[in-house]
Amino acid sequence: MPPTADYTLITADRVIDATGSAPIENGAVLIRGDRIVGVGRAATVAAPEGATVATNHYPGCTVLPGMVDCHTHHNGFGDGRAGDELTLLPDELLTVQAARNARASLFSGVTTIRENGPKNVTMFRLRDSINAGLIIGPRLHLCGRPVAIVGGHMGYFGGEVTGPTQARALTRQLIKEGADYIKITATGGSTRTSFPLRPSFDVDELSAVTHEAQKFGKLTATHCLSSQGIANSLDAGVDMIIHCAFKDADGSDNFREDIAERIGEAGAYVNPTLHVGRSGAWTLAHKRDAEGLTSQEATALDDARRSIEVKLEDSRRMIEMGLRVITGSDSSWGNYKLGNTVYEAELLVQAGYSHMQGVLSVTSWAAAALGMDDEVGSLEPGKLADVLVVGGNPAQDINALWNVQEVFFGGGKLERGSDESLRAVRQQPAAL
Amino acid sequence: MPQTPQFTILKADRLIDGNGGPVAEQAAILLEDDAISRIGTRETVHAPEGAPVREIDYGDATILPGLVDSHVHLIGIGDGRAGDELVTLPDEILTVQAAQNARRHLYSGVTTVRDCGAKNRTTFLLREAVEMGILPSPRLLLSGRPIAIIGGHLSYFGIQATGPTECRAAARQLIKEGADFIKITATGGSTRTSHPLRPSFDVDELTAICEEAHKFGKHAAAHCASSQGMVNALDAGIDTIIHGVHKEADGSDVYRPEIAERIAERGVFVNPTLAGAVTRIRMLENEPDLSPSQLAELDAMREASQVRMENVARMIDAGVVMSAGSDTAWGYYQMGDFQTEIEAHAMAGMSNMDAIVSATRDAAASCWVQDSVGTLEPGKQADVLVVEGNPAQDINDLRNVADVFLAGSRVDRQALV
Repeated sequence: MPPTADYTLITADRVIDATGSAPIENGAVLIRGDRIVGVGRAATVAAPEGATVATNHYPGCTVLPGMVDCHTHHNGFGDGRAGDELTLLPDELLTVQAARNARASLFSGVTTIRENGPKNVTMFRLRDSINAGLIIGPRLHLCGRPVAIVGGHMGYFGGEVTGPTQARALTRQLIKEGADYIKITATGGSTRTSFPLRPSFDVDELSAVTHEAQKFGKLTATHCLSSQGIANSLDAGVDMIIHCAFKDADGSDNFREDIAERIGEAGAYVNPTLHVGRSGAWTLAHKRDAEGLTSQEATALDDARRSIEVKLEDSRRMIEMGLRVITGSDSSWGNYKLGNTVYEAELLVQAGYSHMQGVLSVTSWAAAALGMDDEVGSLEPGKLADVLVVGGNPAQDINALWNVQEVFFGGGKLERGSDESLRAVRQQPAAL
Repeated sequence: MPQTPQFTILKADRLIDGNGGPVAEQAAILLEDDAISRIGTRETVHAPEGAPVREIDYGDATILPGLVDSHVHLIGIGDGRAGDELVTLPDEILTVQAAQNARRHLYSGVTTVRDCGAKNRTTFLLREAVEMGILPSPRLLLSGRPIAIIGGHLSYFGIQATGPTECRAAARQLIKEGADFIKITATGGSTRTSHPLRPSFDVDELTAICEEAHKFGKHAAAHCASSQGMVNALDAGIDTIIHGVHKEADGSDVYRPEIAERIAERGVFVNPTLAGAVTRIRMLENEPDLSPSQLAELDAMREASQVRMENVARMIDAGVVMSAGSDTAWGYYQMGDFQTEIEAHAMAGMSNMDAIVSATRDAAASCWVQDSVGTLEPGKQADVLVVEGNPAQDINDLRNVADVFLAGSRVDRQALV
């Protein structure tokens, strides 16, 4: 419902504007229409004389920008099923699931998402449904189908190409359909016919995609589960490295400082996707506690635990090197369900970010990584009024982002439904 | 491992069981898992000794069967757009819309719907999504695509058949895909290439469909916007006549008592779909400034609605059983408001209680699901609606929904995820 007053005023104990400034104590955000028109101390922010103002005061709370999640899979269920299985479902059903995931993430405070790979045109259809006013969902930054080699990771979603010409043609096709950026799988992944430890495309193919994307002002992002994929992506001028796993072709973990330095020099963003592995480990741990594990599952849990440690350590080093590490949840993939983006930001804090940096990684830095920082990601006059109100102070404890009190989306207060239904979306941690 | 049964007792000042008898006072109903276990009074209904039980007393309220809407179009938007336009939307979007509508209807108190026509496989895929737990939904009775002649009403949804052989094949195809019943358009309708005042199929074609449906234990329902369509459908052995409009080929309104007699004799149900017009009339009446064309539309709709209601009253007098079905979201009539159709049945002359029965027991019977839903009786599915007030006195109390139970589970009507 659009506000009937001319202005909406939000006041709380503090405002984190996510520009990098310190929190504003007793802060206020003033909204007109779908835009922010004022941010500052409550005493200094006011609507013009005579205007009608709807005032919303949140004692004990922090006001910050709506979260930006740089990596989602809206077709997914997060129930552990493989992508190879997921893609067998009909597109209509996957779009219905995407609609539900869109609500789950929006109601959790994520107001902008970058979708990292759905089947066929399902996400474009979801966007059409939102634009037609049939349903609500966060702002969508879409790739359509990931660009993959024959048999490559997520090739089953519909974007298999070979050679620079086909790569260029698919890029043009996706942009024609409405892609906001291009996702490429530069190594194999969980897809059964793919090779996670090997690069997929050659550099000429990757370059054909990045060149074509740049021509139309679109960014690119590559899935990289091993080091050579990262190196190839950098050769091709990719803008974001996803997963960024430093692994050699023989499977050994080997943090490649030389490659990390190149990431830094290129100014590419890194989306390490730490929690998707932990969510799988939690699922196993829940099973362990409830009914015990098979020896195979016990091994899988051990592997997952080790893998989380390696990824945390690699992320710590990248953060220390000053790389642009941002939050992208990878939900709903594996066992990670949409609506739980905060877990990823929390792990970035564990990896070395301050709590405030954790907040920035899921707001303004994430928006910059998507090229959307002129519109979203911070609370500044002129930007879209996507505003999150949480209990507590996330600058001191990132987990305060779980305590969502209110979400304003494009200036309107969202009806988020019953607390019970919102709680049901939250995944429960387990002792590993 | 046997599960411990879950008991729920609902109590209220009144209970309407859907069979049309007097309202029970100081009532209580015991639900055991997904079924109704016992019905009685506040004093007499208990869970078995020692069993844990959840008990809710609604006070000045009425317990009823969950409503059965025997005519919906889940993919509809209800914003006035024609079906010819609706069908141009991609199937993914229509399925997303169907999911929204299913949720909305359930939250408004409807626990069973019969979908009378959707594009391609959209509603079958919706059912898959419901079975996977992606969304809450009433029980779904689906036809998939209606069977239409070339250019016939709703033919754009994906089936145009000619001749008994193609008709039979279409029925088999739908049943293979999961159809619970077969919808036929026996006359034209709003579809631009169709002729509402003329029958569509010949009787041999209609017969082929009805026989094929019956062979597999499915029923058949025919859209009839004019009289000859009803005659043909009756000749073919139809089970439900939808709209049931008494109109001659020249457009004149002529009530044909012999048709009503045949309908009554054969125990065929009529689903009169009165509220689409009522809704549009109310919309126009609330518009501040009507254009000349809107004024003309309003006059025409008032007159047509009046005739339809009078004919419904005559059919009821002739012994025809009415099955309430809203026809939402068609035209301007949106889902989540089956109550207006029930109200329209009362406006046509039914007692409030009879209108309620038409939306519970009789709607369930017309959908061939009377053994499991439609009334509150031990052994039936625990689909229960609780409303504040007394709808037997004021039919609009059906809108004051306090709670909805589907298969014994309380529906969280605030859940939006």
